[in-house]
Amino acid sequence: MNAEPEDGAPAGHDLRLTQQNAEELYEQAPCGYCSCLPDGTLVKLNQTLLDWLGYTREELVARQGLQQLLTMGGALHFELHGMPLLLLQGYVRELSYELRRKNGTTQAVLLNATLLRDTDGSPLVARLTMFDITARRQYELELLQAKQLADSQREQLAQANAALLENNKLLTRTNADLDTFIYTASHDLRAPITNIDGLLTLLHRQLPPEVRQATAIAHILGLMKTSVDRFMGTIHQLTDIIRLQKSQAPHAETIDLAALLDDICLDLTPQLRAAAVQLTVEVSQCPEVAFAPKHLRSILYNLVSNSIKYRHPDRPPAVVVRCRRHGTTTILEVEDNGLGMSAAQQGKLFGLFQRLHYHVQGSGVGLYMVKRIVENAGGTITVQSQPNVGATFTVALPAQAVSSEEPALQPLE
Amino acid sequence: MNTLKRHHVSVSGTGGQAMVFVHGFGCDQHMWRLVAPAFEAQYQVVLLDLVGAGGSDLAAYQPARYATLAAHAEDVCEVLQTLHLHEVVFVGHSVSAMIGVLAAIREPARFARLVLVAPSPYYLNEGPYTGGFEPHDIDDLLGAMDINYLGWTAAFAPVVMANPDQPALAAELANSFCRTNPDIARHFADVTFRSDNRADLPHVRTPSLILQSARDLIAPLAVGYYMHEQLPDSDLVVLDTTGHCPHLSAPQATIAAIRAYLRPTSHLPT
Repeated sequence: MNAEPEDGAPAGHDLRLTQQNAEELYEQAPCGYCSCLPDGTLVKLNQTLLDWLGYTREELVARQGLQQLLTMGGALHFELHGMPLLLLQGYVRELSYELRRKNGTTQAVLLNATLLRDTDGSPLVARLTMFDITARRQYELELLQAKQLADSQREQLAQANAALLENNKLLTRTNADLDTFIYTASHDLRAPITNIDGLLTLLHRQLPPEVRQATAIAHILGLMKTSVDRFMGTIHQLTDIIRLQKSQAPHAETIDLAALLDDICLDLTPQLRAAAVQLTVEVSQCPEVAFAPKHLRSILYNLVSNSIKYRHPDRPPAVVVRCRRHGTTTILEVEDNGLGMSAAQQGKLFGLFQRLHYHVQGSGVGLYMVKRIVENAGGTITVQSQPNVGATFTVALPAQAVSSEEPALQPLE
Repeated sequence: MNTLKRHHVSVSGTGGQAMVFVHGFGCDQHMWRLVAPAFEAQYQVVLLDLVGAGGSDLAAYQPARYATLAAHAEDVCEVLQTLHLHEVVFVGHSVSAMIGVLAAIREPARFARLVLVAPSPYYLNEGPYTGGFEPHDIDDLLGAMDINYLGWTAAFAPVVMANPDQPALAAELANSFCRTNPDIARHFADVTFRSDNRADLPHVRTPSLILQSARDLIAPLAVGYYMHEQLPDSDLVVLDTTGHCPHLSAPQATIAAIRAYLRPTSHLPT
């Protein structure tokens, strides 16, 4: 095979690579070129563009305007926006149109144009280049559809959000009503039960000694006294809830956890002794916790006393209190080997006046309050339990929870 | 925002009578810059942007308010009120020609002459009336606008609006003239091309000049003749131009035609 061209140029220097004819470069360029008068009349087109369109040069030059090469939408857009812009600023860039071929099909192009002016400044001729963007247009159309879809979904989302906000307002109102109800109930019930308590004492004094000491009467009086006491206890707890709801955020302090637990144990001494509770405290990982002292006391007191209250009858109660840190979160755990509870019971555990066991005294207020304290501080409380095996309550408190803007609760008194 | 700021109003020139130029769809007051200066020696030249276009307050474009051209006509009257202008020469291009017609019916005392450049009272074909377009053509236009606005970024708007007269900035942003928020442009296109103001034409009492381009895709010759028939006291001048913007493509011919129309000064207040 002879690599030497016939005209004698050295091999490897094919003149076709370096000495391209400018006219041929124009005609065969990989983009469409054309020139038109300021009114759009075509005066020159390159072969590439003619090939795209399927017209001969004679069919277009001086006979058709640029507008006739575009689809109606494109032609309108060019007339209304493209042409004024070209005449105003002397160029336009990246106008996206569709060429209309002679055979009726279309081809997506990106159009750039520059305006040449006469010596007197009047527009002379516009030079245009067009690039074939068939694949890109397809992608753009998909993008456009996706955008339109996203727009309509955003609208739906906004509507759903508005509905949610409305529901939220309703819930807030319902909650406020509930608080008012609790307040009213505790307030309105306090006076009559206090009266009944006083009248019972009065009755006791007024009864002749022989009647008072009769076994049946004494028994009934005892039961009445117990009922009244329980009634008053419940009202007392309701009052505590009101206080919790109405109070301002207390300040966080650094608390010695071991000392706090000692103090709680002192209060619970009778119960601890009576049930022979084996209490283990493992708080060496976080000896100090920053929290409102009375709130932390309320949380731990309720959890430990519950562990004792709901002990299993077949074994001595073992209660473990642990504390650890997870990042900036403080995690408190109270684990027992008591009665435990089923998954269904766990769901009702933290509700107001929810009681799972009726064989021991309780009002169903304690855990409700613990949950409110924890959640108002931005924390969480969860329980893991198996019936007849035991329960573990886990309280997670975020760092400096109480100094956050969440309203915090006043402790029980 | 006050009226003049809302419409990015600029006032220049000297003269007892005001000449108010209002741009058409797809651009802004810049489109008068080859024509308006020619009148500054004899007239007080007022340029404004319709709300939603150019340097106007885009936030003021409430689609519900601007659902018809009447709101734009009201705006034009408000600008004239603010400037205390009466008996002005109103020059409106394309859709603003019709806005001028509506404004002149609304407050005739404010208008001495109407110069209507490439006007059309209705763009759709209907029965014997040939507006030039079928509804699907308008849908096509909206499609072309959508695909061309794909690259629109809101970041352009404030720059263009805040510095409309800084060519250095404008040069950096290709196509920065006549650029506006795509949602507004789409809505305005819809209102423009579906408005039927044919019934308003006979109510105009202001003398008017119809400047018709001989070969105009948007406002064909037949529409110019229709305007001339329907508008009482109207003159029709057909410019030997192609395209919808003779004031840009043939500014000298446009200026000459307007001058010739305004020349019989006996019509004008002294």
